Formats: sequence, C-alpha cells, structure tokens
Amino acid sequence: MLPTGRSILRDAVSGQRRLLARAAFLGSVHQGGEALVPVIVGLVIDQAVSTGSVGALLRWIVVLAVVFGALSMSYRFAARAAERASEQAAHGLRMRLAQRVLDPRGGAEAGRLPGALVNIATGDAKRVGVVNTVLPFAVAGFVGLLVSAVSLLRISVPLGLLVLLGTPPLLWLTHLVGKPLERRSSVEQERAAHASGVAADLVSGLRVLKGIGAEAAAVARYRRTSQDSLAATLRAARAHAGHDGAILALTGIFIAVVALVGAHLAANGSITVGELVAAVGLAQFLLGPFQIFAWVNGQLAQGRASAERVASVLAAPPAVTSGSGAPSGNCPGRLSLRGVTHGSLDSLDLDVEPGELLGVVAPDPAAASHLLDCLGREADPAAGTVELDGVAYTELDPHELRGAVLVAAHDADLFDGSLLDNVVTAGRDVDRALTASAADEVARTLPEGVHTLVAERGRSLSGGQRQRVALARALAADPPVLVVHDPTTAVDAVTEARIAGELREIRQGRTTVLVTTSPALLAVTDRVVVLDGGAVGAQGTHAELVHANPGYRSAVLS
Amino acid sequence: MSDRELLPTATGRRTAAAVGELLRPRRLLAFSAFGVLTAATGVGLLTAPLLGHIVDLVDEGSTDFTVPVVLLVVVALARGAGNAWGLALVSRLGESMLASLRERFIERALSQPLERVELAGSGDLTSRVTNDVAVIAKSVREALPELGRSALTIVLTLGGLALLDWRFLLAALLAAPIQLYTVRWYVRRAIPLYAHQRVRDGAQQQQLLDTVGGARTVRAFRLTDEHVERVRGRSQTVVDVTMRAVRLMTRFFSRLNLAEFVGLSAILVAGFVLVGNGTATIGTATAAALYFHSLFNPINAALALVDDAQSAAASLARLVGVADLPTEREPEQAGVPVDASVKAAAVSHAYVTGHDVLRDVDLDIAPEERVALVGASGAGKTTLAKLIAGIHRPTSGSLALGGVALDDLGHAGTRRTVALISQEVHVFAGTLAEDLRLAKPDATDEELRAALAKVGALPWVDALPDGLSTMVGEGAHRLTVTQSQQLALVRLVLADPPIAILDEATAEAGSAGAKVLEKAAAKALEGRTGLVVAHRLTQAAAADRIVVLDAGKVVETGTHDDLVAANGRYAALWAAWSDQRTR
Ligand SMILES: Nc1ncnc2c1ncn2[C@@H]1O[C@H](COP(=O)(O)OP(=O)(O)OP(=O)(O)O)[C@@H](O)[C@H]1O
Ligand SMILES: [Mg+2]
Repeated sequence: MLPTGRSILRDAVSGQRRLLARAAFLGSVHQGGEALVPVIVGLVIDQAVSTGSVGALLRWIVVLAVVFGALSMSYRFAARAAERASEQAAHGLRMRLAQRVLDPRGGAEAGRLPGALVNIATGDAKRVGVVNTVLPFAVAGFVGLLVSAVSLLRISVPLGLLVLLGTPPLLWLTHLVGKPLERRSSVEQERAAHASGVAADLVSGLRVLKGIGAEAAAVARYRRTSQDSLAATLRAARAHAGHDGAILALTGIFIAVVALVGAHLAANGSITVGELVAAVGLAQFLLGPFQIFAWVNGQLAQGRASAERVASVLAAPPAVTSGSGAPSGNCPGRLSLRGVTHGSLDSLDLDVEPGELLGVVAPDPAAASHLLDCLGREADPAAGTVELDGVAYTELDPHELRGAVLVAAHDADLFDGSLLDNVVTAGRDVDRALTASAADEVARTLPEGVHTLVAERGRSLSGGQRQRVALARALAADPPVLVVHDPTTAVDAVTEARIAGELREIRQGRTTVLVTTSPALLAVTDRVVVLDGGAVGAQGTHAELVHANPGYRSAVLS
Repeated sequence: MSDRELLPTATGRRTAAAVGELLRPRRLLAFSAFGVLTAATGVGLLTAPLLGHIVDLVDEGSTDFTVPVVLLVVVALARGAGNAWGLALVSRLGESMLASLRERFIERALSQPLERVELAGSGDLTSRVTNDVAVIAKSVREALPELGRSALTIVLTLGGLALLDWRFLLAALLAAPIQLYTVRWYVRRAIPLYAHQRVRDGAQQQQLLDTVGGARTVRAFRLTDEHVERVRGRSQTVVDVTMRAVRLMTRFFSRLNLAEFVGLSAILVAGFVLVGNGTATIGTATAAALYFHSLFNPINAALALVDDAQSAAASLARLVGVADLPTEREPEQAGVPVDASVKAAAVSHAYVTGHDVLRDVDLDIAPEERVALVGASGAGKTTLAKLIAGIHRPTSGSLALGGVALDDLGHAGTRRTVALISQEVHVFAGTLAEDLRLAKPDATDEELRAALAKVGALPWVDALPDGLSTMVGEGAHRLTVTQSQQLALVRLVLADPPIAILDEATAEAGSAGAKVLEKAAAKALEGRTGLVVAHRLTQAAAADRIVVLDAGKVVETGTHDDLVAANGRYAALWAAWSDQRTR
C-alpha cells in the first residue's frame, strides 16, 4: 500500500506508542497536579486564612509541597519520553526517505532538487516527529481539564456541569478557527522549501557563478525568492495571530460565565467564598489546557502538511518495474536488446556476446545517455526488451541485476572519504584496478597518496584525476558486465592510450561495453556498433569502419 | 565532518549587535508592536481584579454581578483582538528581520573565495541557509510573540501585586533568586550544547546531500546499505545530542517548579499573617494568590524562551558569522585595463602548504591572441586558469590583466575583465532565461536569442517544450552535457568580458558533442583574448601558440609546428593523439 500523509502520521505515532503512553500518563499526572494547585489555594483561604489556624496552614503547605514535587517530576519524565518519541519518529522517517531515494527502482528524485529532498528529510521529518511531542500534552491537557471539572463538581454540581458541557463546543470552535491555518501553513512551508532549494542550488553552482562573475545576479535572484517566501509567511503569521486572539477571547468569555454562575451560587450560600476562589482559579487554570489545545492544533496542522510532503516522496512511483529474480551465479554476461524504444532510441536491436569488448558510438549524445538509462535500469524502455543471459530485465530485481551489470555513468560522483575508500567500495583487486585506470599515477602526485581525502564530490582532484578514480572504482567492482560511458574525456592522449591498453587487459574474458567516441578506446574493442537514428547503423571493427565508413571517420577521428 | 574547517560563527556579543542593526531601521514597527501588545496585556490584567471584585460583592451580600461580568467579557474580547493585532505586528517585525539576514547571508556566502567554501564543504553553507534559517524562523514565529506577551504580563502583574499591597510583592519576589540562579545555571550548560548540536546537524546535512545528490551512483555501485548506514550514523548522533539537550531542559524546568512553590507558599503565608493582623482583607489575599498563580504560565513561558533563545542564538551566530565575513577587498583606486593582455610572472601555487602544484610559471598573452594550454592530466592547467581568472590567489608571484595587477583591478574589475568557463557544468534550477540572465541580468529576450544563435544553440532551445521559459536544472528538464556546456558559452557571450578562459569547456561532451562545442567556443571567443585548456589537440593545433605544462612547470612554448618539430612533450602528446586518428 502506498503511504499517504495520513498513514505517515499514523505510523509515526503508533511506532512510538509505548513512549507516548508513558508521556501521556506522566503528563496527565503533571496536569492533574497543576489543576490541584488552585483547589489547595482555595482550601488554604477557607481553612487557614479565614480561621487563623496555624496548624491548618502548615498542613496545607506540606500538601502543596508534595503536589509540586509530584507535578515537577512527572513533567520532567513526560517531556523526556515525548521528545524521545518525536526524535525517534523523525529519525525513522529520515531513514525511510534515505532508503526510498536510494531504492534500486529509483524514481524518488524525479522532479525534486537534492536540496529540497534533503529539506524534506530534515525539516519535514522533524515536523512530523513533533506531533509526538504534542500529543501526550493534548492528553494531559484533557486530564487537567477533567481534574478541574471533577473538583468543580465537588464544589458544586451546576458549576461542574457548566464546565463539562461548555468545553466541547469551545474545543470545536477552536478547531474551526484553526482550520484555515493548515492551508496557509502548507503554502508557507512550500515557499520556504523552495527558497532553501534555490539557495542550495546557487551554492552548488558557486564555481560557475564565480567563473562569469554572476554572484550579484544570483544574490538578486535569491532575494526575490526570499521576499516571496516572506510574503507567504506573513500571510500565515497573520492567520496564526488571529487564531491565537480568537482563542484568548473565547476562553476569557468562558471564565466570565463561570464567574457569573459561581458568584450567584456563592451569593445564595450554596458554596463558600473559598470555593468561589477555587472555582475562579480553576477557570483561570483552564486557560492552560486550552492554550495547549491551540498549540497542539497548530503543530498538528504543520505536521499534516509535512507528512504529505514526506508521503509524496515515499509514494513516488518507481522509475522501473522490478522482478524478483537474480542473475545466475556464474553469469556469462550476454546482453541482448530487442526493439528497444526509449527517448532517442528507436527499435534498437543489439547483442553483446559474453566476454566481448564492444564499442558503441553514438553521434547523438542523447542516444548514449538513453541507452545507458536502459542498461542501468534508470528507466524502462517505452517498448522492447533488454535481456541478460536470456532473462528479461523486468524479471530481475534491479539491485541484483546491478551486481551483474554495472553501468558507470559519465558524471558518476565520488563520495566523501579518501581516494582508496572510493575505489574499495565493492572492490576485489583494487591495486590492479588502480593501475589499469592510471589512477596509481594520480595517487603518486597527491600529498598522502591513496589515503588523501578527496573533498566533496572529489573536487580537490583535477578533472582527469577524478575521472580516473571513478574508472578505477568501476574496474575494481569487476562485474560480469561493465558498461562505461566516456571514461577518458578529461584525460590527456598519452594517458588515454595507456588506459585503453590496460582496459582490454583487465576486462579479458568479461563482457564490456564502451560507449564512447574516443578512437584510442575504440581501437582496442573487438567490435564497434554505430547508433544512427536510434538504431544500429553500421558495425565492424574499428579499423574496418575507419577504412570504409566516412560517417564514422567524421564522428570519431576529428 | 568535524575534521573540516567550518565557516566562522559569530560571538554572542556580535550576534546581539547584529540583531540591533537589523532592528534599527524597523524601530517604528517595533514600537507599535510593543505598544499594541502592552495595551492588550494590560487589558487582560483587569481579569483578576474584576474577579476579586466579584468576590468582594459576594462578601458584601450583593447579587448584581452584571457590571463586572459584562466587563469581563469586554476585557476578553479586547484582549483577544489586541493580541491578534500585536502578534501580527511582531511576526512582521521578526520575519522581515530574518529575511534581511538570510539575504545578506547569501550575499556574503556567494562572495567568499571558493577555497574557503570548499574547505568547509558546501553542506556547511547549505545547512546554515536551510536548517539554521528554519530554527530562527520558528523562534521568530512562536517564541518572539510569546516572549513579548509573557514579559509584559509578568511586569504588569507584579505591578498589580504591588498596588494590592507591597508586602505581597515582597513575598512573590522570594521566588526570583531561585529563578535567576536557575537561568544562569542553565545558560552556561546550554550554549555549548546547542552549538555542538548545530555542528552535528551540519554533518547530517552534508551526508544527506552527498547521498541524495549521488543517488544514481549509489544505486549503480550497490552502495545503498553503506550509504543508508552513513545517514543512520549521522542522524542517530543528531538524535543523541538532541536528547542530551532535552534532559538539560527538563532539569531546568524542574528547578523552576521549586521557585513557583516557594513564591506561592510565601504569598499564602503573607496572606495568613496580614489577614490575621487585620491589615488586608480576604478579597485582597485572594486576588494576590490568583495573581501569582496566573503568573505561572507566563513565567514558565518566558523562561522556556531562554531555551528557544539558546537554540536560536546558536543558529543566529552561524548566520551572522557568515554574514559578517569581509567581502573581497576592493582597491581604493581600481585600475582600468589598457588592453586585453594577460601576464603571469613567477607564479607558484599550493593548495596544501608545502605541496606546490604550480612552480614559477611565466606566461604572456597578447590581446586577442589565442593560446592553448596543454599537458598531462594533473599538470596544473586548471589551477593556472583559476589563478588568472582571480578565483584563487597565487601563493607567490604576480598576475596582471591588461597591464593592471589583479589586486589593483579589484574583485569587480576582475570579473568584468575575465571569465572562466570550466568543464564543470551546472544548470541553475529555474527557467532557461533566468539561468542565462545570471550573466546579464538586464538582457532582453532578443539579446538572449542572439547570444544563443551565436553559439548555435538557438535551434534546440526553440525546440524545447516552452522555449526560453522551459524549466531546466536539477529536477526539471534535463539538458545534455553538450547543451549545458553550450549554455555556459552563451553566458560567456552575454557577460562579454575582453578575456575568456575555457577550461576543457568542450571535453565533457565526447567527440561528437566536442565538435559542436569547438565551433561554438570559437564563435564565443571571437574578439576576445582566449586561453584554452584542451586535451583535444585539434583545438591546440588551431591556436596561435601552445604552452605545455608539466608537473606545475612550463616546459615548452611555441606554435604547433615548432613544437612538433622540437620532439618534446608536445610532440609525444601529438603523436599519441594523431596516432589514434590516422589509422
Ligand atoms: N581544490 C584542490 N585542493 C587540493 N588540491 C587540488 C585542488 N585542485 C587541484 N588540486 C591538485 O592540484 C594538481 C593540479 O590540478 P589541476 O586541476 O590544475 O590539473 P589539470 O592540469 O587541470 O588536470 P586535468 O587535465 O586532469 O584537468 C592536482 O594534483 C590536483 O590533485
Ligand atoms: Mg583541469
């Protein structure tokens, strides 16, 4: 079943129910204690202040001390349990989001900036978690309300009934007032998320901005977004303020009514002055729970809006359909594409024999990336099938498939860590891979060799160094089928020639597809196919094609 | 990444001063917000005496409560309305201050030297502009109005208590030392804890960006489990640190309860004594107790804000820290380049101290000359390009553009004089036109189209679903590498500097795209001095002069034919290059 905002919220709460139960119980003790305070004040006035009994005064002060001790401790542990529940729920959502984004079937990043996704995993997950902080307090507020109602009933039945019957309509009214908040706060959060997405985007394009001196223009652009977000926030804030004001007014009127009835009862002698004091004190105390309800309402509104956003990521349709099969253990590595139509590919038929080193030349770069998408299961072709050793891709679990077919994209990212950390990932023979990709040379020029930390995304390496490390990583994984896209565009001709030779060597006997237009690499392949208009246009060895095909010559040799 | 050199954080004093600076231009708004809230709170305080009056009426045996009850209702309505208005004003104050701050933050952040940002990791910047902004926004939205309201209630209530009988005020004040002590106790512990929490938040952000941004690679290499674990580790640390802060916070509140108990008992005992010796009525004692009891919520709220304030202050310090960074220094009298020449003399550079990647490089480029910079990968070509473009400062040696040293040219002058297009492509999220206007904000659509046409990008732009208004960038229409790089060249044409450096601006597209880009680059370079870093040696062969860099040193320079004849490094590169292409 696909997650919805509602189910996200429900799971976040039910997943922490033990902590929540504890928090609600202790929180109720706390609120009960708070409700007893005015009652005790009334008793002190009745039994000590108006009689002058020192014994009674001392006795009630001791009782007050006990009540304070209890309410203080219970609050302490209630709050801890509630916060823990909130943090754990947020953590859980963060993990679910991370898992969804990394899901082998993909699809979660579609249409979202990484910055916005990160914002959902931090800010929104947190706001959903906060629902767990507020719920126990809602329960506790209710209990506080109950305790004061019972105390009131004991003082006088009509007064107690008044509070008991008056509260639900009041609650309903506050809910009604809170309703429009949800819409406003959702718009506001969206704008805020957009603004921080824009900020993150500008920060990640900082190098490009600096290159053309566009910092000022970028700042102006952010300023506009920020002002937009400000306008939305102010609208929401006005709604909030109105909501708070309305609740204050409602509770004030409620207290007036309680005072009116209580005063009449006191005047005709059915309650004492002390009890009137207690009743008024209780009515005043009621402000507390009501404010709690208002707060809870506001937080729930935000939590719901955030849960919707979390759900929209979790429920994003996968980019590819997943089977449950796994490629056979000693996978020979035969790829066959039948009538594949996807983007600029048009009924492409292509066979890659086990152990073959195939070069694919795509004069149209879009065709190359679409082919890679299909081979790496980033997307399912609109028509046609891709098979590995006679098994259709769609019958295989994409995660398992990628263990057999590794598609090393051209713009593959390096991760935080040392050069070696990056290559070791799934690596078997790391040293050999480093040599084959000429990344050993890279390590030699770095201050701390293979243990040098690469900055974010490998940015402390030169372009060609980064590319060689990425290639080393792909080679070290040593998959039965390796698809590499333009692995040497940033490498000098001498190094490229060396890599070409090594590549053939290290991939000996295993299927390799080189999607490239580099003649150095194509020269070492067993066979080259040229994509033309989305299908195979010409094929042969590199030498044959160079000799016989002018189109090929112009695509590759210039 | 605790081992990264994070961006600076402002001191407490500087943060407070920065808030003052933001407040100053909004004085009027601040005063009216404060005034309205004071009035509303003052009205609200009439509730207790009105209730006391009702008690006194009962005591006197009267049965007509209409007047005080109607007044209670009026008070409730006025208080509600006043609060709503005041709160709206306070939000406007806080939110507009926050908006100014975050805008200044971005302005300063973008003008920082690249090295500084890279040292810290972009997660540090992004977490500040996302998380920290959110924390402050929350405080502004929730805590600030609450603080205003509570502080006013407390002050006004204590005043009311004094009016009843100064001895009640004295009794109530018994609670104050405990509260003051508690706050001090708390603040001492909370400040470092919250600062630590922010650093952890930043690390989590960094990891999420790393993982989410590289999701495709993670999937391809089946690193999902490892990355999920990395995220889990960071996230769990955040949970742990947060729980430490929560424990501290709950201890803080427990201590505040003690203060409540002491104050309330003191007032009750005072009432007992004063009523006993006849200096106060029961009504007064009642009102005093009610007053003090009604203070519980606002006092707790106000002191709880100490907690919010700590958290917000930690975030604020991180924003102010960056917002206060000096902008790059501008010379008093900015020099004006006399021509479009480039001169580098004895330039050396090291990213890591002691590890020179450029050594004593001399390079002269005449106006409108086209020079190709070639050499093995890692030789230092990009580094030299960045130094000339003024993006990094050389460790030693001097650089001049148009006869003016970079330092005298200043930041703005350098940007106008030279542009660097690198192999790194970034398409900014938004419409295509918005992306291009980053280079020339006031460009008309016609100018954009002309620039696109010049580099041959117009046909495909016109073929996009919405033409110039197509949403591009991450998460929207994905452009091919060739297209993205063409856009970079269009930006160059729009920015129109006399000197342009292309750092493998054609490399990423593969040879098919490279040819398109080479043509586009030649067009974009027309009329400019050009330094072209190229592995594709056809581009080098077409240049007026070739400079060969090896291991950070200029080893050869001359025309293609000279260098091929000289049989050195370039000849070796050329042989490897042409060997693959002449079989
Ligand atoms: N930000 C950085 N921090 C530390 N070292 C760096 C940084 N950028 C580059 N280097 C190092 O400086 C040296 C020169 O790098 P540079 O990028 O200038 O090479 P290049 O000649 O452009 O190579 P390529 O042809 O591969 O792009 C390399 O050894 C590289 O690792
Ligand atoms: Mg480079």
